[in-house]
Amino acid sequence: MRSLATRALARWETLLVAGIVGVGIWGATLPYFFTTANLLDLTTQYAFIALAAFGLSFVVIAGEIDISIVSNLAVSVVCFAQILAAGVNVWLAALAGLAIATVLGFANGLLVAGLNLPSLAVTLGTLAAYQGLAYVVLGGEGVASFPTSYTKLGGGYIGTELPIALLVLLGFALVLGALLHGTRFGRYVFTIGSNREAARFAGIPVARVRMAVFALSGLMAGFAGVLYVGYFGSARADAGGSSLLDIVTVVVLGGVDIFGGIGSMAGVLLAFVLVSELRNAMATANVAGDRQDIVIGGLLLTAIVVGNLLRASQAGGARPAFLRLARREVIGRRAQQWRQALSARNSRI
Amino acid sequence: MTRRKLSLTLVVAVTAVAALAVGLSTGSARSNKGYRIFFLPKTTTIPVFTQNAIGAKAAAKELGDTITYNGPTDTAGPAQVPFIDSAARQHYDGIVISTSDPNAVAPALKRARAKGVKVVSYDGDVAPDSRTIFVAPSSNKLIGALEVQWAAQLIHNKGDIAIVSARPTSPNQNIWIKFMKDELKKPQYKNMKLVKIAYGNDDPAESAKQTQALLQAYPNLKAIIAPTTVGIQAAAQELQQEGKCGKVQLTGLGLPNDMRKYVKAGCANKFGLWDEQNLGYLAAYVAHYVISGKLTGKLGQTFKAGKLGNRTVAISDGNKPVVVLGPPLAFTPQNIDKFHF
Repeated sequence: MRSLATRALARWETLLVAGIVGVGIWGATLPYFFTTANLLDLTTQYAFIALAAFGLSFVVIAGEIDISIVSNLAVSVVCFAQILAAGVNVWLAALAGLAIATVLGFANGLLVAGLNLPSLAVTLGTLAAYQGLAYVVLGGEGVASFPTSYTKLGGGYIGTELPIALLVLLGFALVLGALLHGTRFGRYVFTIGSNREAARFAGIPVARVRMAVFALSGLMAGFAGVLYVGYFGSARADAGGSSLLDIVTVVVLGGVDIFGGIGSMAGVLLAFVLVSELRNAMATANVAGDRQDIVIGGLLLTAIVVGNLLRASQAGGARPAFLRLARREVIGRRAQQWRQALSARNSRI
Repeated sequence: MTRRKLSLTLVVAVTAVAALAVGLSTGSARSNKGYRIFFLPKTTTIPVFTQNAIGAKAAAKELGDTITYNGPTDTAGPAQVPFIDSAARQHYDGIVISTSDPNAVAPALKRARAKGVKVVSYDGDVAPDSRTIFVAPSSNKLIGALEVQWAAQLIHNKGDIAIVSARPTSPNQNIWIKFMKDELKKPQYKNMKLVKIAYGNDDPAESAKQTQALLQAYPNLKAIIAPTTVGIQAAAQELQQEGKCGKVQLTGLGLPNDMRKYVKAGCANKFGLWDEQNLGYLAAYVAHYVISGKLTGKLGQTFKAGKLGNRTVAISDGNKPVVVLGPPLAFTPQNIDKFHF
């Protein structure tokens, strides 16, 4: 049986495809937009945003938020640069950067899940703290001495027109999509985001899963940093600082419910394509930078409002104010099914 | 609301957004004569860049070129990359750029140059191998030294001083601060002590906060040097609010229009800047001649930059090839009303 939520998402993704086609039609009226090279290249410069958004999706589906990812990216990037400068092989240095990013993400998880603190407050704190840490590590300088064999990762092409970054990003979408939708861990994340109490009663190791989700978000911020350096060829303590708007927009526009429990990797990927395409088309049309921010911010708000309306209409035409209750009830039922299934299994043993 | 109604609403909304987007685009009509030049500032949110653009457009008018002025709202260098790629995609003849991250924009500029786009940097230089010529407002050494000299005049060579800079990563501010420190080593400044360098990120609120923190932490502070137009204005406002005008002297780099009311109130008695419109004007002239092939970056090449007269491609502060605008102007309560930019 297809649940209400799945159907909602199916429709949401259709809407995103419609949006992508719509922007494409506008783009076709612009000179220089509709070329194979440009269309393949749409996502290259924003690929690091997609990786960070993929990681953040897990956190948001689990009912939390992690706004420290941009600072986490900065720390991993400057550590990577410093370790490389010490004479370590570039790939090993990148690996060390990933490890550091994972630890920083895990630290968020410890504070949120271990000490039961609100994730918005915790990650707002670490947003500032990690940013400071990045400046401590590298100061105000920039490092740009990355070997070209490495910078191919973010800015290189296979043949003349197929960007390597596009393949990297699709690969991550597949792997993380499988993790979210095809494993027990993924189902735990959804259940915890829907109703944490019910998940606990159902015997899910709630604290451990929540910590893992934050560590994963950190790891993906690290991968975003690896790709960021690969594209820009520059590591500085303020790396990625201006990307939070785009990252959160991609997650929410992707149909991930900001209150947790609902979301899909396909939706996030489509939303990312839409945002990149829109940014590219606006740049091609020479839309002023400040107006571009208004459009992207507006898109974020539209996604939240339309998402709520859609769910309200599916909950039998209930008014948005009643929506939360209605949805929780549906999800409570899902958790109950879980609990029954689990106890049935346990009694068999 | 029924589903059908909802779907209808959504279609209308999407169409409206698309229409709005079309309305927002400024269009890029291609004129047959003259060059198309993309003028890319660090950010469009700081007034000096608007001044640069006014000058650049005046030069373009004289030369028959077209200027497109656009850039990000954030001062971090990577935010400029989409604009560089977009300019290359649209086959602009040239890009004039000021950046706060010389290395992050370099790969994109190199891609643009590979497509035949000429690159000229000004104000905030990019990595030397990613542009043909850098247009410098003045000598960095002179700017750094002058700011210390102005501060020394205001506090009679005695007392604690502090700096309110832009970002810790801003290349221009960092090099000026380095030359300020060099100047301070001279014997006549032995009674002046640099106690702190604060960073306001070229954000008015953050710069004001940093100034306030300085005033609290260093009660004996005699002067603040703010080598940024955003920082000096925020510091002046903060000094005025705290009633510290005249007790703590303020100098640095500022726009006369921004600073006029603070000069009249005695909050800033001597500061400087080059003529930002002329800087944009010169950069547009250099870009024109680089595109036409008259300037290739070879040292010693000369050209006539309209109303600014003859200029030479040279070495400045060990950087090359550079075209220099000239020494900065100094503004005081006596002459401030003569300047309107």
